[in-house]
Amino acid sequence: MSCAYRRGMPVLEDDLSLVFSALADPTRRAILERLARGDATVNELAEPFTMSQQAVSKHLKVLEQARLISRTRTAQSRPCVLETERLDEATGWVARHRQVWADRHDRLAQHLGSLRGDEETAR
Amino acid sequence: MTGELTFTRVHRGSPELLFACMTEPAHLTHFWGPAGTTTPVENIVVDLRPGGAFETTMVNDTDGGTHRMRAVYAEVSPPDRLVWVEAGVEGGMRTTVTFVDLHDGRTEVVTHQSNVPAAYLSAEAQAGFVTSLDRCAAYVAGLTA
Repeated sequence: MSCAYRRGMPVLEDDLSLVFSALADPTRRAILERLARGDATVNELAEPFTMSQQAVSKHLKVLEQARLISRTRTAQSRPCVLETERLDEATGWVARHRQVWADRHDRLAQHLGSLRGDEETAR
Repeated sequence: MTGELTFTRVHRGSPELLFACMTEPAHLTHFWGPAGTTTPVENIVVDLRPGGAFETTMVNDTDGGTHRMRAVYAEVSPPDRLVWVEAGVEGGMRTTVTFVDLHDGRTEVVTHQSNVPAAYLSAEAQAGFVTSLDRCAAYVAGLTA
């Protein structure tokens, strides 16, 4: 079953899986929160955590693979930068699916109303 | 962790009625198609048993274009629970609908959708957590606000 699912998986949604997988970890979310306030180096990111630089680097790699962050190649310190576009895509996924169900249930409420024979309509 | 979505709505009606609405073409045709589309009753296939087909062909109201949803029921437990899986969508989309009797003539219908590439399922199960996409979304919205 897993193979069939993976084979049929559109590239975009596969990328999105990486995003959600990356977001599932509290440390990585904390890192993103920090980066939302401004770019930071690995040292700066490691500071608030009781965690080695190496461990933080691992988390950064996951975030980088999900393209939630990028790292400057030019500067020696290679500061990390939050890629907000990817986060927007993730919220777009939710909004799209949520809207379909919201509309569907609006019409279901209307349908139930007509089954009851009243004129009540869902707003 | 993969994308997940939970949508909850309370309807007037018994769980039995709501379950029927979600599984009988004569009901589904009234509300299934997303906004701007309709789903004629003859375009709905329901073979209500685990492994049975659940297919709907939605017709666009303006240009007549069609969109077909093909799913297979994974669990059929009237009037409490219904699960179907769309193998070809979003890398395998599982939809679970639960019908909760509120004992006041109303039923809470909870729709949970998850996109389940098994590559992540095992890791997720091992970690013992399930993160709802809604929470992710709220969090993400906070970040980008």
